[in-house]
Formats: sequence, structure tokens, C-alpha cells
Amino acid sequence: MNDFLFTQILTELEDAVGRENCSVKEIDRATHSADFFWLSRMWVDRGRRMPEADFIVAPANAEETSKVLKIANYYKIPVTTWGGGGGSQGGALPVAGGILLDTKRMNKIYEVNTEGMYIECGTGAIYKHIEWAANEKGYATMHYPSSLTCSTVGGFLAHRGIGVVSNKYGKIDDMVLQMEVVLPNGDIIYTSATPKHAAGPDLNQIFIGSEGTLGVITKAQIRIYEQPEVRRFRGFLFKDMTSAFRASREVLQKFKPSVMRLYDEAETASLIKKIVGVSKPGAFMNIAYEGVKELVDVEEKILLETFAKYGAEDLGSEYGEKWWKEKITFFYPGHMMDIPQMFGTMDTIAPYDKIEKIYWAMKEAIETKYPYAKFIAHFSHWYEWGAMMYDRFIIDGEHVPQDPVEAMRLHNEIWTLGIRTALANGGVVNDHHGVGIKLGRMMKEQYGPAMQVFEGLKKTLDPNGIMNPYKLGL
Amino acid sequence: MNITENAKNIIDNCRFCWMCRHVCPIGNATGQERNTARARAFAVSMVVRGSTELSEVADNMYECSLCGACTNNCMTGFDPKVFVEETKTELVLGGLIPDYIRALLEKYMACGNVYGAEVSDEVKALYREDGDVLFLAGTDAVLKAPETVGVALALLEKAGVKAAFTKEQDTGYALKFLTGKTEETRKAAIAFAAVLNKYKTAVVYDPADLAMLLHEYKEWGIEIKAELISFNEYLLSLIEDKKLAVKKGDTVYTLQDHFAYARELDDTESGRKLIEAVGTSRDMLLCGKEANLAGHLIMAEYMPEVIKNVALDRWQNAINMDCKTVVTENPAEYVFLKETCPDGCRVLSVEEMLLENM
Repeated sequence: MNDFLFTQILTELEDAVGRENCSVKEIDRATHSADFFWLSRMWVDRGRRMPEADFIVAPANAEETSKVLKIANYYKIPVTTWGGGGGSQGGALPVAGGILLDTKRMNKIYEVNTEGMYIECGTGAIYKHIEWAANEKGYATMHYPSSLTCSTVGGFLAHRGIGVVSNKYGKIDDMVLQMEVVLPNGDIIYTSATPKHAAGPDLNQIFIGSEGTLGVITKAQIRIYEQPEVRRFRGFLFKDMTSAFRASREVLQKFKPSVMRLYDEAETASLIKKIVGVSKPGAFMNIAYEGVKELVDVEEKILLETFAKYGAEDLGSEYGEKWWKEKITFFYPGHMMDIPQMFGTMDTIAPYDKIEKIYWAMKEAIETKYPYAKFIAHFSHWYEWGAMMYDRFIIDGEHVPQDPVEAMRLHNEIWTLGIRTALANGGVVNDHHGVGIKLGRMMKEQYGPAMQVFEGLKKTLDPNGIMNPYKLGL
Repeated sequence: MNITENAKNIIDNCRFCWMCRHVCPIGNATGQERNTARARAFAVSMVVRGSTELSEVADNMYECSLCGACTNNCMTGFDPKVFVEETKTELVLGGLIPDYIRALLEKYMACGNVYGAEVSDEVKALYREDGDVLFLAGTDAVLKAPETVGVALALLEKAGVKAAFTKEQDTGYALKFLTGKTEETRKAAIAFAAVLNKYKTAVVYDPADLAMLLHEYKEWGIEIKAELISFNEYLLSLIEDKKLAVKKGDTVYTLQDHFAYARELDDTESGRKLIEAVGTSRDMLLCGKEANLAGHLIMAEYMPEVIKNVALDRWQNAINMDCKTVVTENPAEYVFLKETCPDGCRVLSVEEMLLENM
């Protein structure tokens, strides 16, 4: 782009959001160029610069967002939406340059509505901040992912995030009432006033998970919940994962614990041993159940009886309570994998008749082809019909090529193998981290001709293809 | 770039970690991605790797208040303040500081303070060399919140304390904030230690100064013979010794914990004990060790709107918990919470709170 046109666009964007909210400074372009995606981290670690946006623009509301999108459409320049930048799939990376639309000025908490049981907020609000707002009124959002403190409401909506008490309270897509969305042409729309209705398909679910490819979610009503009277923990050690799956499926037909986390033998022997202190061999499972005390008493009885039937060793409440306290510690530097290691989380989900098969198939595929790779997993979000697997591959630094191009090649090969294996055995591209640029190529492999539904939406809503190019396989 | 291995290690650990974003008072006030420990570490890591110039990160280093909320939040114990301070020093040594920082330093060279301000006649009238203790108000209080100095000395007088109060008030804190641990800062500290050492006891009003005296002076091996005591602790001792006759009422007060007390001096109790002596303490969000900044006088010289918004954010925390009377422990927070005080709320310094309960 020539200097003249660049400056012309800059002045129009400044007019839309205010000069102080529109930056072309190197510090702002650079700090919006890498997210939690391993490839972006590796690239800058090797002294390379990631692709940068030309303009960093921070609108205050839907109206300013609308103006930005109209400018972008007129000049046909890409727009990538950025919340907290904590995504692991490269979904917020401005790989095509253009405008980086940072939502964090849209952080207003408009209302904590304790009658309607929701918080209305701008989607640039840090999720922890809306949790605090709920807590101040005696309520809770019950959305506690590891990135609770760093990611925005919009970020979780954009990629269909999930928190650790999802079994009882649901995923982010279960936690939204109404949303305000700015379409690529600048129109401001509202989804249905409630998420449960028969007024056609659910507009919320079209935009949740769309990763900024179909518009920008600017405001949302997020559900709040009463704080539980009691929250109890119980740790168990199963001799193998099969018995744990059977026991859990049976429990879930009777009641919903809030936390259910089953760790494979490898993760029990590594991470759980290090952080929680369980040193015996087997598959560790942590369960939390909560709510009104009388009901929780009954749930506890069912849990203990059912798990005993499947041979689980009852480890008491100590490990679970320690895990709850430390649940975020796992993700701080020094506890978490980091460069020079190569690693990735290939979370997938499937019904009970397939999920364990997927685990073994992925483990075998990755560890056979890449014998220096470690494959570990836990299963942390459960339903009456199935469970998700949070499986990770980890390669120590000495096996990771220093050349960034070679490192990218190896990284992408492993991911392709892992996800293809999941798909071939009944899994999906991803459970709750999203698709981004990392897995866009796999979307057609999962959906086949069904992909035309997404493509049709994209073509209709974003005919110039400006919204978050190269993400979600669109 | 000439920074320590410790700083480099912190940078490499923080550059891809966003976990403390939610507690950064500046980031929360601006919504800017660059105002996070992660972004600062990321930017400096790029300088270390030669993929950007040191000058590109200069502004960003001065947008950090060094309040340590991020440090306190880190479960692993990394301290982003370390690399921010070292980078500032590199900027100074390389002649790369932003013009607005240069202007503050020029004022410091010309007037002895970064504000270019003169001590008011009212404050000068309070000077006295002799006393049982030295009352160290600090530069910020003397120049930017002079009314607090008068009230604090009046309170001490009511307790029968003869407090010396002299024109030398600069511990070197401002220089350290702007330049890091440079030779100039050290020289300022040595000069001030000589003043302190004329007295047996020094009562330090501003916790930021006390933290500087206890930590940085020690690190530099600068001897302080005077016994140092925080203003809060000194007031508590006067109450305990019945020299300060306060009455307990039914007012609810909310302490605005200052980060230096809470995190650098490990004191989250003295302010609350003072409140409990005269009323009832009600905490707001982000209190104690998690103290959130509510004002910064030096930063307000070059980013006034942001600092005002920092104070407004703090008021929002107070209002959310129905806290209407906020008590400050530091002159900067007193100034900015007063400036932004909503209708129906009020701000008191600890000494003002005690005086209204005597």
C-alpha cells in the first residue's frame, strides 16, 4: 500500500475511533503479532517477526466497530479481531495484515442482573472481571478456564471456550442469552432475546465459534449462577482408563458433578505427581460435586457407590482440594511446557463408544511416527453420552529443529497426523480451543460437503472476504 | 542489550504468559495490549533477539507503574519489575529516554524534584530541625499533597510528639522510578542517608519512600543508623501508648491498600488496625496483598488521563462493595482519589480519619 493511501485510511480510522485509539506504532503492531499459538511463539523466539497488522484499532462500542468495518469493506482490507491474545490456534493473528481490531476498550460491565441471572457486558471485558462483578453480588459465572484471567468474553465466545466446572454449568455456548454482533457490512444486529425458542435457528450459535470470520461480537449477556452451598472434592485412582470411563458414564446418567477430570497413566505419573502429589500408578480422577447440601449428600453417596463398583480407590478430598487451589498454577511459566519444547493440545470429543479408541489410536500414531514425542492426556469435560480428551504431544528441545521453517514443517505434520487420526476414529477437529489458522485445513476433512453451509454464510455475510482471512478454513 | 541474566530469564518466561493481565491497573485503565507484563516482556525479548530496536520499547517501559500487582499474581514468582527497571536504565545510558521523561529529569536537575515545583510557604512554615523523631513526609506529599503534611504534623503534635520536619525530603525514589538503579540514584540515596542519620528515629509517611529506604539502600550498602518506622505503625504505637486518644465510632471505612505497604513492606494490617481503632473496616475488591493502584504522581505528569482512569477504576471497586469512605495511606492515591471522588463518597488520609475521631 502506498504512503498516501495508507495515511488516508489511517485518518478515516482515527475519525471512527479517535486518534488515541488507533495506532501504527511498532510496539502495538508487534505485541499484537503473536498469541499463545506455538508457531507464533517459536517464530519470534528464533528472532523472526510475525506478520503484523498495519493499523491497530480499538473501538469503544458497536457503533465504532461498525464504522471500522465499513472503512475496511470500502478499501477491501482485512480485519482480524483480537481479544486477550491468549488463543492457542492462531485465531487472532493478523496474518494478512490490514486492521487489527482490539476489543478491550469494549470492556464495560453494563449490568449485573440478579433477577434475570445474567451480566451484560462488552465483549472486551476480561472474563475474570465479570467473575468479580458477579462475586461482588454474591453470584458466579461458573466459567473457569485456565485462561480466565487473560482472555476476554469475546475471545471465549469466538472459539467456543469451556471452563473446569462445565459438566454441571455448561460450555460458553450454554452460558449466553443475547448477543450484539456487528456484521461485516457494518450492520449492528441482536440475536434472539433468549437462547431457547422456536423462532428459527439459533443466531447465537452461528456467531459463537465463528472466530471473527462472520462479524464482531460486541456485547453479550452472560449467565450467572448462585454460589453453591457446598463444593466437595474427591480424588480416585482407577487401575485403568476403561473402568474410569464406565464408572463415569454410569454416574452421569444419575447426576452431574461439576468437575470431572480423568488423567491417563502418563499424565498421572508426571503432572499430577508434580503438582498434586499423587504418586501411585494408575489413572487419577478428580471429581467435584456441588450445590445444595442435601442434594450433594445424595450425590456423594451415588458417586462413592458407583466408583467402588468399578474398583476405584477412594483417595479422599485432599488431592481434589489441592487441585482446585492449584488449577491455574499448571498454566504459569515453569509449570507449563514452553519453548524450546514443541507441544500442542489436540483436544477432541466423541461418544463413550469411541473416545478411548481415539486416545489409543492417536497415542500410537504419534508415538510410533515420532518416537521422541510424549503423548499424554486427560479427559476433562463429560456428558451423558461422551467425553472430551485433552491430549497433548510434547517434544523436548533437542528434537526440535532450530530452523523455524523446519520446525513449522514438523509441527504441522504432527498436527495433521493427530487430527486425521482423531477424525478417522470418530472425533472432531477440536473441542474447545477453536480452529484458527492452525487447523483450518482440517475443517473440510471433518465436514466434507457440510462445509458449504459455513462457506455460504461467509460468502453472504462477508462477500469481500475481509473478516479474519485464512481462519476456520474459510 | 546489557541486562542481567535474571532479567533475561524473567523476560523469556513472561513473554508468552498473560496470566496476570487482569490485575494490571494501567492495562485495565487503557485496555491497551502493550500495557501487560506479557507485552513488555515480549517487546524486550525482541530487542534482546535483535528483531527490534531498544528505542521502540521506551514509552512502554514508562507506562508501567512498578506497582508489582503482576509480580504478586505470578504463581511461579517471576518479577516483571526487574526487567522494566533494567530496561529503563539501558534507555538512560543509551540516551534513548522519551522526551517527556527527559523533561522530568531536567526539572529534577534544576529544582530537585521532577515536578518543577516550589515548596509552599505554608509547608516551609512547618520546618523545624529539632525533635524527638524526624517526620519524613516525602517529596510527593510536600509538593503535591501539602495539606496532608500539615494534618499529619498536627496529629503528631496532639499526641505530644515533637517531630522534626526538614527541607530534605528526597529519598531518591523519583530518580529510581525514572532511571532505575543508576549511579545518580545511588548518589541521591547516599546524600539522603546523611540527613536521616542525624536522627535516632524517622517516621516515614509515604510507604514508597520507606520501601526505597529499606530495600534499595540496603542493596547498595548505604547505612541508615536511624530507626525507620512507617507512619501507620507509629500512629498505632501512639494509640497503644494512649498518647493519641481516639474514639471508636460507627463509621465504616475502606482501606485503599498502597502497594508498597502491602507488597514491598509486607504490611496489610497496620492500616486496618488504625481503622478498627476508630470505626469498622470494610474491604473492597483487590485489597491486602492484591492491592490495586489508585494514583501515581510521577506518571500523571506524562499520562494524566490514564492515571485519572486508574483512580476511577478504583472508585468503581469501592462503589461495587458499597464502600463510601476510602482511607488512603499514600499521598498520590490521596490526590487522585480526591480528584475523582464521586458524589456521596469521600476520601480521607489515615491522619484525617484519626483526627475526625478524637
